[in-house]
Parts: sequence; structure tokens; C-alpha cells
Amino acid sequence: MPVEAIATGTTAMEITVGRVELMRELAATQGVVERKTTIPILSNYLFEASGDKLSLTATDLDLSLRTSCSAKVKKEGACTVPARKLHDYVRLLPDADITIKLLENHWISIRCGRSNTKMVGMARSNFPGLPSFPTAGVVKIPAQVLRGMIAKTGFAIASEESRYTLNGALMVLKPESMTMVATDGHRLAHIERVGEKFEGVSGEMKTLVPKKAMDELKSLLDSADVDEIEFGKDESTLFFRIGPRLLTSRQLTGQFPNYEAVLPKDNTKSINLNGDALSAAISRVAQFADERSRAVRIKLDKGELKLSASSTESGESEDSLETDYNGDSFTIGFNAQYILEFLKAVGGADVKLELKDAQSAGQLRPAEGEDYKYRYIVMPMRI
Amino acid sequence: MPGSDKTIFHVDMDAFFVSVEELFDPSLKGNAVVVGGQRDERGVVCAASYEARKFGVHSAMPLRTAAKLCPHAIFVDGHPSRYREYSEKVHKVLTSFSPLVEMASIDEAYLDMTGTGRLHGPPLRAADSLQRAMKSESNLNCSIGIGRSRLVAKVCSAKAKPHGVLWAVPGQEANLLAPLDVRDIPGVGKVTEHELHELGINRVRDLRRFSDEFLKDRFGKWGLALAGKARGEDAGGWFDTEVAAHSDAKSISHEHTYSEDATRQEQMESTLMRLSEMVGRRLREAGMHARTVQLKLRYKDFTTITRARTMTHPTQLDSEIFAGVRDLFRKNWRAGVAVRLLGVHVSSFEEPQYQQRDLLDDGQRERWEHALSAVDNLRDRFGESSVSLASGLCGNFRERTQRTPLGCRDTQTRKPSSE
Repeated sequence: MPVEAIATGTTAMEITVGRVELMRELAATQGVVERKTTIPILSNYLFEASGDKLSLTATDLDLSLRTSCSAKVKKEGACTVPARKLHDYVRLLPDADITIKLLENHWISIRCGRSNTKMVGMARSNFPGLPSFPTAGVVKIPAQVLRGMIAKTGFAIASEESRYTLNGALMVLKPESMTMVATDGHRLAHIERVGEKFEGVSGEMKTLVPKKAMDELKSLLDSADVDEIEFGKDESTLFFRIGPRLLTSRQLTGQFPNYEAVLPKDNTKSINLNGDALSAAISRVAQFADERSRAVRIKLDKGELKLSASSTESGESEDSLETDYNGDSFTIGFNAQYILEFLKAVGGADVKLELKDAQSAGQLRPAEGEDYKYRYIVMPMRI
Repeated sequence: MPGSDKTIFHVDMDAFFVSVEELFDPSLKGNAVVVGGQRDERGVVCAASYEARKFGVHSAMPLRTAAKLCPHAIFVDGHPSRYREYSEKVHKVLTSFSPLVEMASIDEAYLDMTGTGRLHGPPLRAADSLQRAMKSESNLNCSIGIGRSRLVAKVCSAKAKPHGVLWAVPGQEANLLAPLDVRDIPGVGKVTEHELHELGINRVRDLRRFSDEFLKDRFGKWGLALAGKARGEDAGGWFDTEVAAHSDAKSISHEHTYSEDATRQEQMESTLMRLSEMVGRRLREAGMHARTVQLKLRYKDFTTITRARTMTHPTQLDSEIFAGVRDLFRKNWRAGVAVRLLGVHVSSFEEPQYQQRDLLDDGQRERWEHALSAVDNLRDRFGESSVSLASGLCGNFRERTQRTPLGCRDTQTRKPSSE
């Protein structure tokens, strides 16, 4: 805890900060603030003022985010402030300087122009200690690469809690490549980037990144203007430094399934399809699919791919696409949602659908692989 | 007077569990008999013979209390499989009288006999032939209440016991119900009774002093039904749903009460495995897949929690049900605290029309399905305990008798102290 020195308790912190700047950091950290109120201190921010900046920390114990903004620090010190309330209040303030001052009994005064508010905080000493960024083994990852990989795999992470090790994505760093894999047991998204140099990585560095951290990382990368992020880890914690912000996450322990064993090898029936057209057709047909299973049937004939779905409640629907398929005719069932999510991730580009038979996993990938090797494996449904 | 022209029979078997036991051991006949377990066991009376009832023994009473009240009673263990077998015989007899039969529990049923006059004759004659058929087919006696609604029929069968028939002639319902204690109305339990007493309502006729609106505000829909009944009308309320309209099971559950509170995780998980097996078996029997699994956990001090989880795919596999409840158990059990009861409950049934295949299990799911269907076959031939999953073995226990209808298959189980 690098801030112990300033948190001497009796120091009455006093700072002035620009409303726009403060609001930007408050908004960026809201996602990490604990929503349940089982541990009250976790719905608070830790504010620490020193030098010429105010640093803000939010944590839900699994995930922590530490950020900062410049401030005029009159008196150094630290306090905690109810996060949601502060966010909602500051949003309503005019664009002017805000003066934040720690009063007695952990009350915090917030003044801005003619507005004057006192909020009830909690003792700074209650705020959990946070792990500190490791000094060695830090890897630099291009921000856009990481962002793209999260977008292309994150949706396949399991949300079901019972398959614990699937509640995150596996990130594999090698000296010249980076891979990310996510699966929920029904489908698997796998993306590899080669030709990148990762200094400080020797051999293979495998990390399970929890879903919550993936989501948070994605939104931080979306809003940050940085070329690279810094990634490091110790035995229990992952660290991602994105510009001035530091995201830490508890590591998922356990064994990620042996995904290499399920990557299809002999899916010889290959069909080239336009992503947008396929997506539109599936969306239409899926309106009439069984609501729970979302099952759609794909029937392959020479030159044609026929989609159909039916349910006793809503009726039945059919659609078809022209294809270059030239093999035997057969039918396979898929969860429409699974296919649509992949097509969305590739942004409507042309895709290749590769199948073996009605029982085996199908594979989808972009028809043109640029610098990425992206593949998506989906198990069929029994229809 | 508004009123339906329905003819509803409520058929209630006389001392069902005791009577079945008597068929297997005729020496029990004429004695005070308590079914449910031995006199010194933890657990409750599930049925008592009329002789034992004279001493104040009634069902749901702790066995030890029953032993005090009636020391000379013969205590016998329950045999759920026998009761199921006889309940099925009963059901068969009933369906030969009407296609609309709803088993309300293992030993009572509602029959919609509307329009069977030409076939079975007037209600009393039909009831008489039903009692005779019951005796000759199942060797058991039953009492029959007849009315234009289930409620009236049920009240009548209670008044007709044992081995009698009571018909509430259409139009006479109000007169029949008026002098009854409100507690005699099915659905009025301790709490409602107390609330009614507070209003000065002791007998059904007292209800007439209050307006429908008042009763509705105070007791909801049920109050309205009650008010209607008091006037002899076929008022609304759940009791008036069509007979056999809701015969599909919506959930399946099995519970186990330990004869000595459990504290070891291993033992409890083993129990959960066994319960999951029983639930899975019933699911497969019914051809259903469940999407929701629920754990019920009762601590020594009777605080009870239930925790449910929705699965990614509907299942009927013991192993998957177990994985779900075990996880819930591990997350919610306060480690070390003694547990009295565990239960496994599944619901949100789905037709297995489409099934998502699993990417990572390497066909395990399908192998489980094959294995379990083989196990089911073995159990059909050699009995429920002939095959068991290894992890469920130390949680093995004797099934406990309970009055749930066959259609629902809700059965409680209990471990006898002798094991």
C-alpha cells in the first residue's frame, strides 16, 4: 500500500478539482464499485490527495480500479466517499471547480459555486489494502490488439457459475504471439495474433482473466487513448495499467480445459458465406425458433443453404442462401444466438463455415484472415 | 341459485397406510397400529389405525409422542413401494369410473362424475359400486363424499368416514356447511382459523354476517370462496379448478431427514448424490428435463434455506443435478453447523426437443444417458437399491412414506437410526 504514509488519520484533506476531470474518473470507475451493500466500505471511493493529484480507488475485492486526476492540493490526506451518491451528485453540478474537504467524523464537504453539500463517509482505515504493481515481469501489450481480442472472445465466456474455470478467458503470451481463448462448454472462441514482439516473455505465459476483468478492461480500452498497456501478475493478482489507470483483478485459479483437443481437424465440408446475409437470414428465422433452445436447422444442399426454425407457439420460418457447396446433403442444428454473436464479432465480413457431420463441432472463421487467426467452434444441437 | 351441475366425488381411502400394512400382516388387524417408524426413532407418524387414533395419535405427530400416548401400539416401518403399488391399483379402479381422475395425494382423489348417470346410475348407486369395486380389486375400503364442487365433496367424505358415503344434495350445501366448524373447511389451517375466530367466526354460518368485499380484503381470493361456500354457492377459488386439469407435475423433489443431525460434508454430499439419483430417476420416468435445480437445507435449529440455480441446459442426468446442488450446498452451508434435513428439488420442465451438445465433455453426457437408462432398467427389475453411484453409497437410506400424489412423485426419505 503505497499510500500508508499520508493516511495518518487526523490530517484534514482539502483539495480543489475541476468538475469535468473529476466526473470523467468517477464515470470510469463506477463499474467496479460494489453494487451489493454487504460490505459498506466497498460502496465507497478511497480518495487520496498528495502532490498535485487526487487518486481515486474503487474495489469490490475481486476487481479494483485506481485512477487519478490533477488537483490543487491544499492539505494532503485521505478519506472515503459514497461512490454512487458522489457520482450522481457531481453529474448535476455546474462546470466549475469543486472543493472537497474532510471534516470531523469522516464527513466530507463538497462545495461548487453556490452548491454546498456534506456527505457521510467512512474511516479510511476500513478501506481494504490493495496489492501493488509488480516491479518485474511486466509485459507491454498493444492496446488495440488486446481490445480486439477481448471483443472477439469475451462473449463466449460462461456465465454459469458451476463451471468455474470457464468464467474467464485464457490469455497465452509467447515471445512472438498472443492467444486468447474463451468457452462456455457449448462454443469456443479462439484468436491468435502472430508477428508481435512481447518483450519479457520467455516460453509461455498463461493467464486466466476473469470475465468481470475482461469487461472492465474492454470499457477502459474503449475510452482510453493509449498505444500500449502494461500487464503484470503475482501469485494471486493480475495488473493492467492503462495510462493513468490501474486495474487489478483477482486471478481465477484452476485448470482451463484442454481446448486444443476440441479444435476440429477434419471438417471437410466447407461453405463460403456472406456474414451480413447469413446474419440477417438467421435473425429472421430465429424469430420462430423454440424460445429457450433457440434452435435453427441448417440444411446443406448443392448450391444452397437452407435455414429453418419452428416452434409450437409461434409457427415456422424458412430462409435460404446461395452457396458454393458441392458435397452431400445433410442437416445440422445450432443455437441461433451462438452463430449470431460470432457474426457480430466479425462485423459482417465473409465467413467460412466448416462442418463434418450433424454430431460434430462446426467451425466458423473469417474468410480472410489478416494478422489474426480467428476461429469459432460451435457444438450442434440434437434436433 | 347459481350452481354448477357437476357431480364431483372425493374418494378418500380409509387408513390407507395401515390398511395396506394389514394386507401384508393380517395380525395387525384390530390393533392400534402406527406406521412411520419405530417407537424410539426420530421422525413422525405417517398414519395411525382407528384404534390408535382413539388415544390421540394422529399423523405428523412425533413417533416418540405417539409411543407415550399409546404405549401398546404396534409400530411398523413405512413401505413406500407398497403404498405406491396400491395407490396405482386404486387409481386403476377410479379410472374405470371416470376418465377425469385427479389424485390429490397417494390415498385420495377427486373424480368428475358429471354425466356418468346413464353408465353408473345416480350418485349414491355409483358410489356404492365404486366402493365394491375398490374392495374387490384392491381389498381396501374407502369413503366417498359427493357434491357439486370439490370442496363440498371433500367435506362430505370426511363426514362419511369410515367406509361411508355422503351426498350433499344440490341446493342443500349451505345447510350442510352452516353448522360446521370453520376448521372443517379444507384449506382453513391454524392461522386462518385464528383470524376467523378473532372476527367472531367460529362456524361456517357465521361467515354470512360479513360482506364479500370485507372477506376478500381480509383473506384474499380464498375469503371470497369461503363466503360463497357459506351461502352454498360454487364460488371461485383454487378448489373449484376442473378436476384433472392440472395433473402435470411441475416439480419433483426428494428430501431426507437425518435421524441424527449431520455435520460431515462428505456424508451430506453423499446424501445429495442419492437424492439427485432419485430425482433424476423420476425425471427420466416422466420423460422430462429440468432447467432449475434447488437445494433445501434445514439446520438443527430448524432455520431453513432454499437456493436455486438455473442450468445452461435442461437436464435429467443424476450427475448434472448433483453437480448443481453440490455447488449450491458448498456455497451456502455454514461449515460445521449441524444439518437436520437436505432436499433436492427440480423444476422448470422442458420437452427434450432440442438439446445442446457439449464441446468439452467428450461425449460424456451421452455415455451418462446410456448408463443411466441401463441403471433404470436394473432398478425396474431388481429394485431401487440394486444399483447406485459410488458417491451416493454412504448416503443410502430407506425411503420415507409420504402422502404426495403419484403424479407428482414428491417423496420424502429418511435414514433410519438402525443403519
